[in-house]
Amino acid sequence: MKDRDCRVESCSFECPGICRIGFSCPALVEEAGPGQFVMVEVSDGPLPAARRPFTLSSVSKSKGIFEIVFEVKGPGTSSLASSAPGRSCRVMGPLGRGYETSADRWLLVGGGLGAAGFPFLAASVRSARVLLGASCSDALVRTGGEAEYATEDGSAGRRGLVTDLLDGLDLASFDAIAVCGPTPMMKAVVEAVPDDLRPRVQVSLESRMGCGWGACGGCAIPASAGGYLKCCVDGPVVTAQAVDWSRMGGGLV
Amino acid sequence: MKPRIEASLWGRDFGNPLMLASGTCGYGTELLEAGLLGDAAALVTKATTARPREGNAPPRIADTRFGLLNSIGLANPGAEQVVESLLPEMAFAPCAVIVNVAGETLEEYRRVVGILERSEVHVGYEINVSCPNVSAGGMAFGTDPACVAEITRLVRSSTGRPFSVKLTPNGGDIVEAAKMAEGEGADAVTVCNTFLGMKLDWRTGRPVLSRGAGGYSSPALLPLVTARVWQVASAVGIPVIASGGVWWGEDVLELRAAGASMVQLGTAVLRRPSRISEILLEMRTLLEGS
Ligand SMILES: Cc1cc2nc3c(=O)[nH]c(=O)nc-3n(C[C@H](O)[C@H](O)[C@H](O)COP(=O)(O)OP(=O)(O)OC[C@H]3O[C@@H](n4cnc5c(N)ncnc54)[C@H](O)[C@@H]3O)c2cc1C
Ligand SMILES: Cc1cc2nc3c(=O)[nH]c(=O)nc-3n(C[C@H](O)[C@H](O)[C@H](O)COP(=O)(O)O)c2cc1C
Ligand code: FES
Repeated sequence: MKDRDCRVESCSFECPGICRIGFSCPALVEEAGPGQFVMVEVSDGPLPAARRPFTLSSVSKSKGIFEIVFEVKGPGTSSLASSAPGRSCRVMGPLGRGYETSADRWLLVGGGLGAAGFPFLAASVRSARVLLGASCSDALVRTGGEAEYATEDGSAGRRGLVTDLLDGLDLASFDAIAVCGPTPMMKAVVEAVPDDLRPRVQVSLESRMGCGWGACGGCAIPASAGGYLKCCVDGPVVTAQAVDWSRMGGGLV
Repeated sequence: MKPRIEASLWGRDFGNPLMLASGTCGYGTELLEAGLLGDAAALVTKATTARPREGNAPPRIADTRFGLLNSIGLANPGAEQVVESLLPEMAFAPCAVIVNVAGETLEEYRRVVGILERSEVHVGYEINVSCPNVSAGGMAFGTDPACVAEITRLVRSSTGRPFSVKLTPNGGDIVEAAKMAEGEGADAVTVCNTFLGMKLDWRTGRPVLSRGAGGYSSPALLPLVTARVWQVASAVGIPVIASGGVWWGEDVLELRAAGASMVQLGTAVLRRPSRISEILLEMRTLLEGS
């Protein structure tokens, strides 16, 4: 549970509503792995009372900088998006369990901001093929490398859903499949993977968090073994089989 | 009385009055490992029940502009597991450990304390009477002073260790409840638990929390808690432990001035664990300057 003051190095809008912030913190970057997240204090005062969780999107070990990419939604993200370079934010992290990266050939399937963590993951594995879906081209998170796109309005790549991009792919040719996005999208991708390949699927989950360090019990994810996992310490990345998808509902847990 | 930092509770002297509130520090193991408990006088564990509880369906947390709503549903591993594996991890903690006890029936409170008595680690209990009384249609025990009296009597007959009864601000007369607890042998009262609150998505008209309403904690509650601490401290002779709304060192001094012996930090520590040390420093600075 390392908590440090990190300097905002850059803050810009990727496209309307999607903000990218670079923080300088060599010590955090040194410890971080793909799929891990940070809890950011979005204000200096006591409100909002909780921090906001963000996936580590990319890291530069040489510069000691990490980036987060997020959608401006409510008070927390709007306050953060108005940061000017030089601002200092308290950031706890890296937190949670990230991707298990020993596999060689990866398939990365992301929906919307779910792809925020893919640049870090893609840079950490030997080979990665990236499939991205979003409502429109503006909402696609660019992952840096090559990717195939599906947009619901057809404004970029194929018109349709990211699951359409799975058609015709030989899933068995990948050693690991990373999935991150809205719950219905993750469910659909997991269902599209044949049973015998499911153990290769790692999903990155989101949940409302009170602390991010295991103390509050707020971040419950229905577990296939019964009961709940704590997203912040047991996750956010878990194998698809660890989740009880039937209890996941359609939205954010 | 002159403002000061030293504090005492149940015959123990502490360098400061800071306690960590139940449900906001787990069982203390994470903070212990991070070396962050050194400046706390005591911590209160997550509510512990007789059997393991999974807790409520998610979402359990909703942050609003002015404070945090939670509805964790008393998720905990159960008293046996707490005695066998969690309390032993805290045996050498630099602060005192107090176990928060909850139940769905009067009898459950007695059972939980009975199991916990096997551990030597904790110095006492905090009895959470804000839980819904299942046999009485789900009304919180704490809203009925007669129920508070009965739980206090049961716990008193189950342990020689000191305990505090943690009162609820949600209905019922909190001063009356405090007097009942004192009358039946409680060694302190904690004033108070979270306030009932709710957040809705106006688009769908549906509550954000799966259970609808939840407990609201916020620095904005400080004046509400201060008033209740003042009222209760004027009415009872046992120590009053304040809980709710603390963010700055100044808030702690204010609650002490209102009559609190000890003061709990909850949401502030969830947000930033190092607040424990920072608040202590703020108190020292204020007192040096006064
Ligand atoms: C492990 C993890 C990693 C995340 N990574 C990213 C990321 O890289 N990019 C990104 O855009 N978003 C990410 N999110 C979601 C992001 O944290 C929320 O969008 C953000 O907290 C919304 O805050 P707000 O105050 O602007 O919105 P509000 O809707 O006003 O938030 C109010 C409350 O709801 C919670 N909340 C709302 N939406 C979400 C959500 N989708 N997930 C979790 N909590 C939510 C907030 O934390 C807060 O407690 C991540 C969430 C988690 C759990
Ligand atoms: C996430 C969360 C979980 C809580 N769980 C418990 C609990 O199990 N038992 C209890 O007596 N109080 C519980 N509380 C109430 C706190 O102990 C405390 O009384 C309250 O939050 C007010 O203090 P604060 O404003 O400093 O947070 C919880 C509070 C929060 C925020
Ligand atoms: S967010 Fe508090 S336990 Fe996970």
